[in-house]
Amino acid sequence: MDFDFTDDQTALREAVQRWVQKAFPFERRHRLARAGGATREVWRELAELGLTGLQVDADHGGLGLGAVEAMLVMEELGRGLVNAPYAAAALMTPMLLAGSQPSALQAAWLPRIADGSALVVPALQEAGARYREDVCATVATAGATGWTLVGRKSLVPAGDEADACLVPARLGPQAEAAIGLFLVERAQYGLRAYPTQDGARAAEITFAGAAAQCLLPDAGAAIAQANDIGIAAACAEAVGAMEALLQLTVEYMNTRQQFGKPIGSFQALRHRIADVKMQLELARSMSYFATLQLGEPAAQRRYALSQAKLQLGQSMRFVGQQCIQLHGGIGMTDEYAASHYFKRLTMLELTHGDSLHHLGQVSRQMQDTAGVFA
Amino acid sequence: MDLRFTPAETAFRAQIRAWVAEHLPAALSHKVHLGLHLTREDQQGWARILGRQGWLGWGWPEAFGGPGWNAVQRHLFEEELALAGAPRVVPFGPVMVAPVIMAFGTPEQQRRFLPGIASGDVWWSQGYSEPGAGSDLASLKCKAERRGDYYAVNGQKTWTTLGQYGDWIFCLVRTSTEGKPQTGISFLLIDMKSPGVSVRPITLLDGSREVNEVWFDNVEVPADQLIGEENQGWTYAKHLLSHERTNIADVNRSKRELERLKRIAKAEGLWDGPHADGRFRDQVALLEVDIVALEMMVLRVLTAQNSGKQSLDVAGLLKIRGSEIQQRASELMMLAAGPCALPRIDDAMAAGWQGEHVGAAHCAPLAATYFNLRKTTIYGGSNEVQRNIVAQTVLGS
Repeated sequence: MDFDFTDDQTALREAVQRWVQKAFPFERRHRLARAGGATREVWRELAELGLTGLQVDADHGGLGLGAVEAMLVMEELGRGLVNAPYAAAALMTPMLLAGSQPSALQAAWLPRIADGSALVVPALQEAGARYREDVCATVATAGATGWTLVGRKSLVPAGDEADACLVPARLGPQAEAAIGLFLVERAQYGLRAYPTQDGARAAEITFAGAAAQCLLPDAGAAIAQANDIGIAAACAEAVGAMEALLQLTVEYMNTRQQFGKPIGSFQALRHRIADVKMQLELARSMSYFATLQLGEPAAQRRYALSQAKLQLGQSMRFVGQQCIQLHGGIGMTDEYAASHYFKRLTMLELTHGDSLHHLGQVSRQMQDTAGVFA
Repeated sequence: MDLRFTPAETAFRAQIRAWVAEHLPAALSHKVHLGLHLTREDQQGWARILGRQGWLGWGWPEAFGGPGWNAVQRHLFEEELALAGAPRVVPFGPVMVAPVIMAFGTPEQQRRFLPGIASGDVWWSQGYSEPGAGSDLASLKCKAERRGDYYAVNGQKTWTTLGQYGDWIFCLVRTSTEGKPQTGISFLLIDMKSPGVSVRPITLLDGSREVNEVWFDNVEVPADQLIGEENQGWTYAKHLLSHERTNIADVNRSKRELERLKRIAKAEGLWDGPHADGRFRDQVALLEVDIVALEMMVLRVLTAQNSGKQSLDVAGLLKIRGSEIQQRASELMMLAAGPCALPRIDDAMAAGWQGEHVGAAHCAPLAATYFNLRKTTIYGGSNEVQRNIVAQTVLGS
C-alpha cells in the first residue's frame, strides 16, 4: 500500500508542467480554440517531449511506461487545459495496436506514433449508441483484396487531423456477428469535421467500401479495455483541471471585494469552497483507484472503473458549476479561463459514460460486500 | 504507487482476523450486526478482552505498553474488528485521554492512570461541552479555583457520552479569565466518585440514554490531577483532536453497515425478484461509491502518515464525509424497512426478545438508529465548523 510517486514519476510530471508553463499558456489554448480546435502542432510538441510514445514499448521506439505515468501526464494536461487528443491517440490507440494480431501493423504504426509523425485515433462511437459498446452498425466484408468497411462513426477525436483511425465493425451483416477492429487510413474515408464545446475538434466519418486492415477479429475485450483506459485518463485529466479551477477560484475569492471586504470572508461562500475541496479530494482518491485497477482482471476492472467515473462525473459537474457560481459574472465570460475549465470538465463527464450511465453499471454489478478490498 | 497490501500487512491482517474469530463472543457480534442495544457489560467486557491481549491501546507506542503498530496496521486492526461485528471501543480512555497523558502527563500520572485504561477496568468520560459552549468550546465556564493543594471545581458539563458509567472524567475547566478565552483553560482529571459530582442522563429522541449532564458542586480535585501546566489545556485538547485523524471517518463500520443494508434490502424484496426497485438499488450504488471514495481517501492519509512524504490535511473532510455516509446508510436501512420501521418497541431492540415483531426482526432498531445517528454531523465539531476549518485551509485566511 503506497500512494507515493517515484522520483522518475515526479520528474515526468515536472517536465510536463514546465512545458505547459512555457509553451501552453491560456492565451494559446484560447487562440487554438477560436481557430477551430486544430491541434496537430500540439501533438508534435508532445512528441518532442517523448509523451506520444509514453506507452509504446521500447522495441517500437517508445518509453514503455505504465498507468501511473499516464495518470500524471493527464493530470498536468488537464491542469494546463491542453487541447490535444492525447488520451485517445497516445493511450488508447497504442494499447489497441499492441494487441493486434498482424505484428506488421504494429511495426508500421507504433514507431510513427512514438515519434509524433503519425496521429491514429480510435473511432469507437456510433450515432445513437450513447455509451453502449455493443451498438455497432458498421459492417466489414472480406473480399479477394482484403477487408472493406461500410458504415459511419461519430465524434471521432481530431478526426480530420488523424492519419488513420481504429474502427470497430461487425464481421458480417448479422446483428450478432462478432465485432472486429480495423485500421483505416485517412484516404479511405469521408469526413465532416466540427469544433467541440471545449474548443477541440471532432469528426463524423463515413466508410463506403473503405479498404481496411484487420487488427483483431474479436475485439470486444480490447474495446472494453480501451474505454477503461479512456475513463482513467478522463478521471486524471479532470483532477488536474479541477485543481486548477479551484486555485483560480480561491485567488478570485481572496481578491474580489464586495460590501467592503473580500468575498472569501462570507461564510456561505466559504462553505461552498469547502465542498468544492471535498469533491476534488474524493475525485483524486477515485482517480488513483481507477489507475491502480487498470491491470486487474476484466470484471473487477470494469466495475472499479465505473465506480471511479461515477464519482468523478459527479465531482466534475459540482466543481465546474460551483466555481462558475463563486466567480459571478466573470465566470460567464469567454475571455477568462474558468469558463474553459468548466466546459472541458463538462465534456469529460460526457466522455466514456456519464454519471447516470455508470450509476447504472455500478447498480447492476454490486456485490454483497463492498470497499476497496471487497 | 501500489494499491496492494504487502505480504507482511496481509499476514498481519490474517493474524488479527484469526484472533478476533477466536475471542469476539458470538452474542456480541450478533447484537452489533443487527444494531441491537449494547449494555455496559457488553462494552466493558469487550474492552477487557482487548485489554488482556494488550490491544485496547492499539494506537499506543511500545514505550507505554502498546503494540507499536504503524498507521496501516492500526487501520487493518480497526477494519478487522469492525467487519467482524466487534462493538465500537469506547474511545475516551484509550484513544482520547491516554495520548494526552503520554504526551503531557508526569511519569507519576502515567504510572497511575495508564494501566487502568489499558486493561479496560477504568471507564473514562469526556467533559468538554457545556450548555453555553458547544461549537464555541473555548467559551466554557466550568471553573476550577486553586486552593492550596487542590482545585475547587464548580460548574456543569453536558453531552457527556456514557457518563453514567464513568469512573473518571477528563475536563476542560476555566482557571483564568485573563486574555483570550483559549488561554485560560486547564486540563483536569477528576474522579467521578468525588463528593459534589452528580450525573443526570439525558433521554434522546430515540429513547436512548447515552449522554448526560454532569454537575460539579465544590468538587475538590487534588492538584496532582492537573495535566501539564495551568492555562495550557487548550493546547493539550488540540493535540488530542489532531491525534485521531483517520478513525474519525469510521469507514470500516460504514462498510459493515453497507453490507447490512444490502441484506435488509434483499430480505425486504427490494433487491431482486418481482418487486425489485431499481431506484432503491441506485441509491445503494451511490452510497457504495461514496464509501469506496472515502476509503481511498483514508488509505491515502494512512500511507502518507507511514511514508512521511505527503502532507495531507484532510481530517475535516474525513469527518464531514464519514458522518454523512453513516447517516445515509441508516436512512436507507430505514427506508428499506418502510412502514415496518414505524413501531417503537424498545424491548425489540434488545437481544433475545421473544415477543412478536411487526415485520421482520431486523426492522425493529432501524428508525431508532436513524434518529440517533443525526448526532454524527453535530458532535466532534459540527460539520459546519469543519467546513469553516476546511475553508480556512483552502483560502489561507
